[in-house]
Amino acid sequence: MATPELVLEEGRLPEDTVVGDVIVRHRLSTRVIHWSVALCFFVSMFSGAPIWTPVFGWMASLLGGLSVCRVIHPWAGSLFFVGSVLMFFRWREDMRIAPGDREWFGAKSDAAVGRYNGGQKLFFYAAALGAVGLLVSGIVLWLPTRFPQLARWGGILLHDFTFILFAIAIVFHIYLAALAEPRTLRAMTRGTVTKGWARLHHPRWYREVVDRQPARD
Amino acid sequence: MAQGLEIRRSSASLWGEKTGMRHLPVVSKYIDTTTCIGCKACEVACQEWNDLKVVPTQQTGTYQTLPSLNADFWNLIKFNEREAKDGGFLWLMRKDQCMHCEDPGCLAACPAPGAIVQYENGIVDVDPTRCIGCGYCLSGCPFDIPRFDAGTAKMAKCTLCVDRVQVGLGPACVKACPTGCLQFGTKDDMVAMGQARVDQLKANGLTEATLYDPPGVGGTNVVTVLAHGDHPEWYGLPNDPHVPWGVKLWKQALRPLGMLAIFGSVLAAFGHYMTRGPAPTGEDDESGHA
Repeated sequence: MATPELVLEEGRLPEDTVVGDVIVRHRLSTRVIHWSVALCFFVSMFSGAPIWTPVFGWMASLLGGLSVCRVIHPWAGSLFFVGSVLMFFRWREDMRIAPGDREWFGAKSDAAVGRYNGGQKLFFYAAALGAVGLLVSGIVLWLPTRFPQLARWGGILLHDFTFILFAIAIVFHIYLAALAEPRTLRAMTRGTVTKGWARLHHPRWYREVVDRQPARD
Repeated sequence: MAQGLEIRRSSASLWGEKTGMRHLPVVSKYIDTTTCIGCKACEVACQEWNDLKVVPTQQTGTYQTLPSLNADFWNLIKFNEREAKDGGFLWLMRKDQCMHCEDPGCLAACPAPGAIVQYENGIVDVDPTRCIGCGYCLSGCPFDIPRFDAGTAKMAKCTLCVDRVQVGLGPACVKACPTGCLQFGTKDDMVAMGQARVDQLKANGLTEATLYDPPGVGGTNVVTVLAHGDHPEWYGLPNDPHVPWGVKLWKQALRPLGMLAIFGSVLAAFGHYMTRGPAPTGEDDESGHA
């Protein structure tokens, strides 16, 4: 068991540190970036969805009305893009396609999975591409008088299409992290995961971590 | 002819926008480009009645007041010079303004509930208190009419003087026109007047004369007599205006399909949780099979 001091400290330890029966999966700065991007995403969604359709008009009331949404949406979206860029470079090394990633999709087991599995890598690249798509089309929608008619139509359709795919991906992202795979969410809150969780979902990463360093306890 | 403000259609409304208490005849403005003398009395009347700010004129080598419409200038006589087929010279004047489409692309594109409305009498109007200044109406208009105020970012355009029309007056521009090339009345009357004028022009040798009332947008409640109706583009009018396919694809296909997909993914996640439940945690004491 970890001593109380170490339990307090583990929230700030570098990645892959083993503390008792938990391993640090995301260091504090990574978690701060992730939740900043998540906040920007939700502000963007709550300000953008009511402009997309009156079905989500109630979201606008939470932010002070549709005119407020039109003003803050582009800025929240821009911050979302900046955060996405930070996230991309933070995780790029870990997300390199490895042998076995393609096989993961058909496979029944996670036996060969390292720090991230094929699905997580796909989500990572899709989200990065989506962020670029939303930014490019969003700039056209932000300043409609500066662009020709064809660009406006293209911008609207691309922004909608990208957002729809993004929303679907986020639904499954949240479902998997918060409900479908118990003990996963703590990786992004406390920053640590249990050894058992790591052994089950990311066995190759678990091996690498425990082989590299002696446990600190 | 008193007109109320019964609403037929409203932007960003999925259901229940039509008030439908009274049936009102559709009204129209008639413009005869062949008797327009380019005096711009209509421009002045529009500025005065609507209390619009003074927009400094721009000299671009023509008689035209401004290169195009402005958030504070809703009525512009456009002067176009053409060489006729027989080598003669054509000096074409047309009053440019909102066409008040039966099927308004601006209203289809607008995301702010009630910001753009179409009254029962066919007039398409903007409610600036509900306009959020997004500019989507620009992408919906086939006539390049909506303009945005630089300060308030609100859309502005001709209202067909709905405030005058609802108390039984005609639009200010019609009132000011000295040649009678502008008229106002029910759409049926204005179309009949236009057809009669077209027949007269044809009898006088202008065989291509037409009444511009494009069917692609369901007709417009500003009908225009064109002497050279085979070339509306000579007057700065589109040949065959439509609500753009981009806007239709967006509102009628992508949006409902996207909603279905997003709600579907939530249902799929919920269904997965109900049937499969959570995955093992990998912790011996809890899952029992690490």
